[in-house]
Amino acid sequence: MAVYVDIRRCIGCRSCEVACERVHGGRGHVHVHFVGDSASVPILCHHCEEASCAAACFSGALHKEGSRTAFEVEKCTGCGLCSLACPFGVVWTEKIAHKCDLCEGRAEPTCVTTCPANALTTDFDLLSHRARSRAARAVATGGRR
Amino acid sequence: MTKVLVPTVCPYCGAGCGFFVSVERGKAVGMEYMPGHPVSEGALCSKGNAALEFLRHQDRLTTPLRRRGEGFVRISWEEALGLIARGLGDVIRRNGPGGVAFLASSKCTNEENYLLQKLARLLGTPHVDNCARLCHAPSVVGLNRTLGAAGMTNPIPDIGSSKCIFIIGSNLAENHPVIARWVHRAHEDGAVVIVADPRETPTTWMADLFLQLTPGTDVALLSGMAHVIIAEGLIDGDYIARNTRGFEALRESVRSSSPERISEITGVPPDDIVRAARAYASSPASSILYSMGITQHSTGTDNVQAISNLALITGHLGRPGTGVMPLRGQNNVQGACDMGALAEFYPGYGRSDDPETIRRFSSAWGVPALPKGPGLTATEMICAAASGDIRAMYILGEDPANSDPCSQKVHQALEDLDLLVVQDIFMTATARLADVVLPGAVWAEKEGSFTNTERRVQWSSKAVDPPGEALSDLEIIAAVGRSLGIDLGSPDAASVLAEINRTVPQYAGITRERLGEGGLIWPCPDPHHPGTPILHSAGFKLADGRASIVPVRYRPAAEGPGREYPLLLTTGRVAVHHNAGSMTRRSPSLLRREPDLFVEINPADAFPLRIAGGDPVLVETPRGGAEALARLTDRVKRGVVFMPFHFPGTNRLTSEATDPEARIPEFKVSACRIVRRD
Repeated sequence: MAVYVDIRRCIGCRSCEVACERVHGGRGHVHVHFVGDSASVPILCHHCEEASCAAACFSGALHKEGSRTAFEVEKCTGCGLCSLACPFGVVWTEKIAHKCDLCEGRAEPTCVTTCPANALTTDFDLLSHRARSRAARAVATGGRR
Repeated sequence: MTKVLVPTVCPYCGAGCGFFVSVERGKAVGMEYMPGHPVSEGALCSKGNAALEFLRHQDRLTTPLRRRGEGFVRISWEEALGLIARGLGDVIRRNGPGGVAFLASSKCTNEENYLLQKLARLLGTPHVDNCARLCHAPSVVGLNRTLGAAGMTNPIPDIGSSKCIFIIGSNLAENHPVIARWVHRAHEDGAVVIVADPRETPTTWMADLFLQLTPGTDVALLSGMAHVIIAEGLIDGDYIARNTRGFEALRESVRSSSPERISEITGVPPDDIVRAARAYASSPASSILYSMGITQHSTGTDNVQAISNLALITGHLGRPGTGVMPLRGQNNVQGACDMGALAEFYPGYGRSDDPETIRRFSSAWGVPALPKGPGLTATEMICAAASGDIRAMYILGEDPANSDPCSQKVHQALEDLDLLVVQDIFMTATARLADVVLPGAVWAEKEGSFTNTERRVQWSSKAVDPPGEALSDLEIIAAVGRSLGIDLGSPDAASVLAEINRTVPQYAGITRERLGEGGLIWPCPDPHHPGTPILHSAGFKLADGRASIVPVRYRPAAEGPGREYPLLLTTGRVAVHHNAGSMTRRSPSLLRREPDLFVEINPADAFPLRIAGGDPVLVETPRGGAEALARLTDRVKRGVVFMPFHFPGTNRLTSEATDPEARIPEFKVSACRIVRRD
């Protein structure tokens, strides 16, 4: 499982950031980046299949657990290698490593529930279905509305 | 110890999202989402997520205070009520009850607003109003006149079934974020989305067609669209014949509004005006969403009427997916108006100058006489305070010293009063000018009903006690009444709602027992009525059941750019702040994201002024100056600058010009200049 982003829907309201901070004791794991004046993109952990943060983690604190990149806080030495290794800049080190835990224990990640615009989802099929529908409409209407 | 989840209604915008406050040992320890909520479906914006931050804030007022010199001292409730009774009594003896004015609050419950306007009118003053005056007063006037009802015609989820959504003067993606999910839903179902706004915003990102008009030219744009719709035969002739009056006058008034001519006024390309008109008129179900970009103008009422006209000539009313949708900015601005906290209306929109209304309420409240209106509006009260006609004011949960235009004058006027009582949760700029400050409760510290922008009445429960000696606002109003010898009955929200059921016909069937999940949408005339999500599906509540098409003519804004003040300043909101900011600027997770007052300026305007991004600049208008950080961006056109109004400063600049009917100030257009601060 991972959180997928529909950038056509993101409205840059930063609700995901505030909600993530709220449930993680003030330290959030998602950042909304504004691209010029015309788009905003929430950037968060992809739970990569071959996670470079986990590969870099010599203590085994960061490791794969099924499809998620899990974190065992007791094993973390705070060395910061994971932060250097992450190609998306979504693992931080502040005494220990901090990254998206998919809100373990909740029905779904907080950012997904709270997103006012339904831009975040754990349902990849929903996202790809939306994209295909858009493409189909564009073909059918020649791009005209 | 177990956690209890208490259902509440979000204290911020008018969308009316619900969430649970989780309570442990009498403390609010967290919040949980409400997936079953009909509008938000569990979602919450950044402000909603941060709501507990201001609830628990150390700045909360915890005891009554009285002014001593420049500061305040704590006093008992008994002393506070005595001071208020003596102060108000003195003013009433010297100046008559008309020397006292009350401001009710669009942040407080229906019951609190009802009781406050009742107190004002039982005291004998017609002067009671609320800050709807500063946001949707033109909707109340314009929609009542054209459609016979002032509210959103269709519920929010209904936007999802629209086939053309025309958003004008609303940045809903930042100000009502959950509404964006319904716009997206319609869009992905093939709807066309058109956005008209002077700025590029996250709302315009959703648009298929973006009309970037010059601030203050909305009537021209809407007339141009009406011209195209009529000229191309896209009107719904049957609908017009059956349901409206006045079409011929409109046809005459827009004859000369050709797209080319309108393009010169608005700056919108003629082809785009034609495209927008065709899309809106020819879709099977079109809706218009608007907000303060339409209302906060000296032509606000005309703007609203021009919107009604478009919907009426195309028949886009009374069906799912259609409608005219004023998006209200605060959680209970609709309710405060419904409850008669307005200068020209008693509860339920009975005109305050109508003898029948006065008779009905005199008999309901068991008094021989009640004051005839219209009273002074929120903006007129301040002028009357400055001129000495109003000598005492009672302000509930509003901050005119920050939120009214030309704030230096407001400060002076409030300072000069014989008695200013402010009932609030924080020491706001207005409270700092008060003689007596009373500590009230926030949304989760009391119970009562709130009416959101779609006329949905929802019950919000009490989760925790107010801090210190603070009391629920209903208890405070009742106690103030008692100290003045006026019995307002039991200060219990359910009992007050029962009285509202008897006196406000639209709320007659909205009883406490029926307000479960999802609430009820008024009008709901009897206890078995299911509520009325869609208005005007069977004619209009006007003479002979017809709506009025009212011709309007474009008038320029009161101020235009000139040699001394060459730029147009427009104001608005950002996603992480709310109104005058007394709540959001005290919420660390929001303030951190937008800590300073800024001004958006086009790089082409900034370059000759030697202004770079991040520079501190001084923005000046004939009223005064404010410091802000420059933000260089193409979001605004050349010649237009934008400032949010969440920080003290912006409203030192804004214009005092008001709409002649609705008396709303023209916050959206002021001529200004910008200079580097060094």
